[in-house]
Amino acid sequence: MGTIDNRWRHGPTRRQALLALAGMLAGSPLLRAQRDPHPITGHKRVPGLDEMMTAFDFEPICFANVVLARYEYMARASESEFTLRRNREAFEWVDLVERPGAATAALQTSTEVLGIKMDFPIMIAPTAAQRDLHPDAESAMYQGASAAKTPMIVVGRSTIPIEKIAQAATGPRWSQFYPVQDLKISRETIETFQAAGARALVVTVDQQTDTGYERDLHNRNLGGTPRGASGGRGGGAPEQGRGGRGGGSAAPAPMQGPALYRVIPARLWYTWKYLDDIRAFTKIPILLKGILTAEDAKLCVERGFDGVIVSNHGGRSMDYGPSTLEVLPEIVDAVGGKIPVLIDGGFRRGSDIVKAMALGASAVCLGRAPRWGLGAFGPQGVQRLLEILQAEFLEAMARTGRTTLAALDRRAVRVNFT
Amino acid sequence: MSNLKVSRREALGSVAGLIAGPGLSGVEGPGLSAVEGPGLSGVEGPGLSAVEGPSLARGQVAKGTPPPRRPPRDELVNALEFEDVAKLMLPAAVYSTIAGSDRAAFDRITFRPRMLVPTLDLDLSVDLFGEKHLAPILVGPVAEQRQYHAEGELATVRGASAAKTGVIVSSRSSVPIAEIAAQAKTPLWYSVYAADASARKQVDQAIAAGCKVVCVTVGASLDAGRATSKVPADWKAVDRIRQGLDLPIVIKGVMTPEDANAAIAQGARGIVVSNHGGVVAGRAPLEVLASIVDLVGAKITVLVDGSFRRGTDILKALVFGAQAVLLARPVMWGLAAYGAEGVQSVIELLQTTLGRNFGMIGAPNLKSLNRAMVKVHAERKT
Repeated sequence: MGTIDNRWRHGPTRRQALLALAGMLAGSPLLRAQRDPHPITGHKRVPGLDEMMTAFDFEPICFANVVLARYEYMARASESEFTLRRNREAFEWVDLVERPGAATAALQTSTEVLGIKMDFPIMIAPTAAQRDLHPDAESAMYQGASAAKTPMIVVGRSTIPIEKIAQAATGPRWSQFYPVQDLKISRETIETFQAAGARALVVTVDQQTDTGYERDLHNRNLGGTPRGASGGRGGGAPEQGRGGRGGGSAAPAPMQGPALYRVIPARLWYTWKYLDDIRAFTKIPILLKGILTAEDAKLCVERGFDGVIVSNHGGRSMDYGPSTLEVLPEIVDAVGGKIPVLIDGGFRRGSDIVKAMALGASAVCLGRAPRWGLGAFGPQGVQRLLEILQAEFLEAMARTGRTTLAALDRRAVRVNFT
Repeated sequence: MSNLKVSRREALGSVAGLIAGPGLSGVEGPGLSAVEGPGLSGVEGPGLSAVEGPSLARGQVAKGTPPPRRPPRDELVNALEFEDVAKLMLPAAVYSTIAGSDRAAFDRITFRPRMLVPTLDLDLSVDLFGEKHLAPILVGPVAEQRQYHAEGELATVRGASAAKTGVIVSSRSSVPIAEIAAQAKTPLWYSVYAADASARKQVDQAIAAGCKVVCVTVGASLDAGRATSKVPADWKAVDRIRQGLDLPIVIKGVMTPEDANAAIAQGARGIVVSNHGGVVAGRAPLEVLASIVDLVGAKITVLVDGSFRRGTDILKALVFGAQAVLLARPVMWGLAAYGAEGVQSVIELLQTTLGRNFGMIGAPNLKSLNRAMVKVHAERKT
């Protein structure tokens, strides 16, 4: 090989030629075929708080932030979840009747319920296990709610002691209470809530037994509620520790009452008498949460209770129960203005709240929605979510042409319940 | 020199890698094969995943999907889920005989649950023709059950007995009634077709085997899936079957108050409001139940069947005044899926959800139910 050949083999010119070849190949369609045109790492990001436009926007962020089983804990409902779906569907059966003549700036949305003044007829409903969503749990919820000037109903079995929650913020606060058969414990618990500054007591009277969360039962191997904790499995009452369903003679079943049908007795003991007994334990107003019929609402009035919350526990009480919105009118009529009627169940938009107010509600409680805010962005998320709903409420109310809550009557809506 | 050689090889290797896939490893691995094979076409399709995925060998995919997994019985949480497993276990033609449900009527009824009613003394029991039943649930008559499971009616009766539930055996059973009765620990009823010429003979055999009640199906022909004979024509046949019979007779297939009255005139002590599992088109039994109970409920026992799948479904029928509900398809799903244990599971699941919903609606027993506990909604025009 001559000098020129050797110079070519080892010289920079050849290298340049190879580089050029490589460059050409690098731009070839073959290479492009191997590349993901939209690699997930290139655009994966979490939307920010400032990008939240509706309450719904918070849910996927919250979903991503918490363990699946804890998300399901709040998303799920009883058995077929018919009532969970119906709660939302019912808003589609009520239309706002639009009328010009009200500017959002001129609207009067403040109200007073049982001595509590609020800028909007919106409250935070009591919900359990808020620590799943944020390390500061109920305190964080309370801070977010107070920042949005929204009263909060603190869940009775809070994950943080009520005394500590009370120090977290300054907004008006009620306490929720699950009946306990022991009257002494009931009195002590109620007195604790009152001492911590609760300005009313919300007694939950629905969800009398375990509610058959089928999602939980499906997820029980994914770190969900352990087998039996939610009950509802045919065969083997969980407290008897039976391994499976239908084992026949595996355990001697007590042969009477709920156990005969593998039903967990839970709160099947509830009576009106118990409610009368605890009525005497406190001077602060008592509301009953979980009322779904005119008959029960009348009993609330007759027995001297101070308010009702129309609720199906977010679809978690009786499956195939009604949506809360469709029974609101009959309950409002039965109560006849003697005590306030609050409502919860699937409220996600300002217009949902306007519809309930037009049908006679005194205020609306939000359960899952502020939980999404808390799980997504902490207290700021709760505050922002509430502010979004307040702004939507103003817009929807303006569309009805009503400038005060008192003027927001049934003529402001067209109802198509069947 | 040697250094240069290495870098040259590297350079060429990178070039090849650039072509073939992600990095040098791509030359040897699935990257290259992807280039040769489906990779090129895979610009938008599965070729890309073949490069990135940890290698599903192409041969494997071509062999087709693995056989579906039958979930352990414990994983099913409601009766409807047994249908999927039954479908898995049965030839399509057999599955089609027990496929599906008509849920529309149930979805138009919501409850009006009452609070603060103590139900700790929950008691779902009901008395039917002198026999006490644990819950208002019976297994309805289904013909030829060996097509669903090798043990057929024997497994059904064993499962139902374990769940303390009575069974109505079809005259067209695939196992002789005497053998079935030998396995039963709960009351057996016997079901014949009014149109069947040998009905009376079959009834005598069933009585000898210990059946307690005779159920006569009217308005449906022997060929399942066809409703050819007319109800009035069946009344004469009912009369023939009834002659000299001591046992209570229940007429199955009543869908109008007129037929309910006719059944009483024929000496029936009970009726099953039924359209034979939707085989006879028209309104759902649940929709006509209330009007029939209003007319004859005080005189005779009214039972009902038709797509009952959930505890809340059964509760609705009881609120309208039915004494008990017949379950057919869900029990057959359990049978096909898991044999006797599947039958037991399906029945027990329904007993439990029924009991739970008695608690939720605020009724400790059947007597405390009333029609104010439901609301029937009109069909929504879309």
